Amino acid sequence: MAISPNSEPGPPPEVRLRDLRANSDPVSIVARVVTAQRREVTRKSDGGRRPVLSGLLTDGTASVRFTWWDPPNEPIETGEILRAVNVQVREWQGRIEVSFNWKSRVAPAGEAELPEVPPDSMPVRPLNGLRAGDDGVRIVGRVVRVAPKTVSVGEERRLLHEGVVADASGAVAFTAWSDFGLRPGEAIDVSGGYARGFRGRPQLVLDERSTVRRVPGDGLPPSESLLTGVPRSVADIEAAGGGELLEVRGVVVGLLPPSGLVHRCPQCRRSVRQGICRVHGTVEPEPDLRARLVLDDGTGALTVNAGRLETERLWGRTLEDCLRELTATGDPSRLEEHLFTTVFGRRIVVRGRGSADDFGVTIQPESIEPATADIAARAGELRTKLQGAGR
Amino acid sequence: MTGREPAWRVLAQEFDASVEEEKGVGERAASYLLSPLGARMNRVLVAGVLSAAETVGRDPENPFYRARLQDPTGTIRVTAGGFQPRAMAALREVGTPIPALVVGKVHLFRGRDGTAYASVRAEAVRPATAEEVRHHLADAVEQTADRIRLVEALRAEPVGSDSPIAGFPAAWVRSAREARRRYPAVDPATFRGPLNGVLRTVTGEEPLPAVPVASLPAAPPPVPTSSTARAPATVTRALPPAPPRAPSAAERAEESAFLDVIDQLSEQSADGYADLKEVVRAAARTGVTSQRAEELLGRLEETGAVEEPIVGKLRRA
Repeated sequence: MAISPNSEPGPPPEVRLRDLRANSDPVSIVARVVTAQRREVTRKSDGGRRPVLSGLLTDGTASVRFTWWDPPNEPIETGEILRAVNVQVREWQGRIEVSFNWKSRVAPAGEAELPEVPPDSMPVRPLNGLRAGDDGVRIVGRVVRVAPKTVSVGEERRLLHEGVVADASGAVAFTAWSDFGLRPGEAIDVSGGYARGFRGRPQLVLDERSTVRRVPGDGLPPSESLLTGVPRSVADIEAAGGGELLEVRGVVVGLLPPSGLVHRCPQCRRSVRQGICRVHGTVEPEPDLRARLVLDDGTGALTVNAGRLETERLWGRTLEDCLRELTATGDPSRLEEHLFTTVFGRRIVVRGRGSADDFGVTIQPESIEPATADIAARAGELRTKLQGAGR
Repeated sequence: MTGREPAWRVLAQEFDASVEEEKGVGERAASYLLSPLGARMNRVLVAGVLSAAETVGRDPENPFYRARLQDPTGTIRVTAGGFQPRAMAALREVGTPIPALVVGKVHLFRGRDGTAYASVRAEAVRPATAEEVRHHLADAVEQTADRIRLVEALRAEPVGSDSPIAGFPAAWVRSAREARRRYPAVDPATFRGPLNGVLRTVTGEEPLPAVPVASLPAAPPPVPTSSTARAPATVTRALPPAPPRAPSAAERAEESAFLDVIDQLSEQSADGYADLKEVVRAAARTGVTSQRAEELLGRLEETGAVEEPIVGKLRRA
């Protein structure tokens, strides 16, 4: 039984975003604006234009999309805290959304009005369940690796820490915009993080709103096992859309262009054709080696982007060798052909991070090693397996 | 996401038993050869002993080569033409039979009577060590065994089920269900027995298979023959019992009768070729067993009396 929003008995109850239910009675919320975009929609009936502001809200317990019909003319800034009374809740494509309409009253609110969220009250999310757009997430994991990095954000230079965190369900990359003093191997309980999509994979982001606590880490995989990785099939990696700390074995069945001797822009390292970088114009290109290997294990195929060091090791030739040969033959395609005949059919183990796009999964390798296998032992295992199945 | 087609690891027995085709729709759609065990092959990676390539066709502007790759379960035809320059160059270099790896696209030729002949249009060919071939055979045994296990598991489920099967890629499960539908009469277990034989080659208890005589050059093969070498049980062109020698008068008569059959069939056919399977059937009516027919054909191809420019299609040279 819906209560008319205009009926007197007080404003609707204040609800945390985590507790929103689709098609419930109107509610009140207090939340911070994560993103907001203003646009106009055209009414079908009379062609009139109607302004609308939409984006993402969070109150630390969850994040939801919002739609604000006829918003005020003053800009709404990211980070602003709003109290919205009488908002509609609905579900769209499996996610909860709120909308503010003429019946809703929206006003600025203070930091103190945001619901207090004790970190322990949030459910811990398994890392393989993280999706881009999730906010207010709490995870418990082990830092596999972490390294500082300086980036430019607009004008300013900022220091951030990048790494990988893992639990028993999987591993994700993270970016920490504040320095939490993270060390490889330690177990952490993180609340107030959010997930964004990066090259088709969710990535955990920690900022000044996040809290990090050291925990004993019982039940988390030990550091050693995280670094060696668990071998996975290509089909499995394709289904997951890539991943961190991957280990995959297979056979090199192809080589994609550009491979072999390439030329790069000295400023941005992009491939350069005819001495022209598509960002920096005419440059003095620097020679480099690379190999885009097609690795196939029979269940699927993925691309391994080998850099100069790995290419030199696989090829058994150095950049200098290649430059010398190019001077002698004057034909770069001969080099590529030679690289192909050297790598085709090789059995290798690749470790690294994989990302997915329209062309499949690409791995940025941390290591490429020859796959070693004791053929007699393998035959023995297969024989046992066959006999077991035959009965 | 449209990834690259995987290179299925198959053995000749499964490859040769594959007759069902799946054609994609739309622009640049891939086509597939579906095996009885649910390998949905657009590309394969195969290993074995590769024979010297023969040229097919007489147009020097459009060279086309064909070779045979022998594994312990049978023979796979490997071809390469001007559109596969890298593979064609590699095929041409094969003199005496050598262990080799081949990756390529599956090509299916269907005769007028509907019989299917599968071959591999090579993208790349590389001579390999015997050990490399054994590693690849181990991969093929493992994945073939996995497919057998999957197809057998699916037999227990009700028709029309589409739930995932733990431990198998979703694409494998889909194509295995399709294989079950398209090959209702095939017993997957018949593919399991030969795998034990392949494992003997993997361990080195048996050498890599010899190449059928039909495609050998005049000189005998120097490579892996030992006194324990046995002709594989399921080769499509079985080894003749004795090494080639001058044929007897009776054999000549048999050959000439056989050539008549080929002539007759190619005259009747619209494309001028005699269909291999029709030839074998017609020969059977004159009392020649199919194995004998294969032997005769091997000899005739070797002497150059008959050629097979298209897989499964014969004509007088």
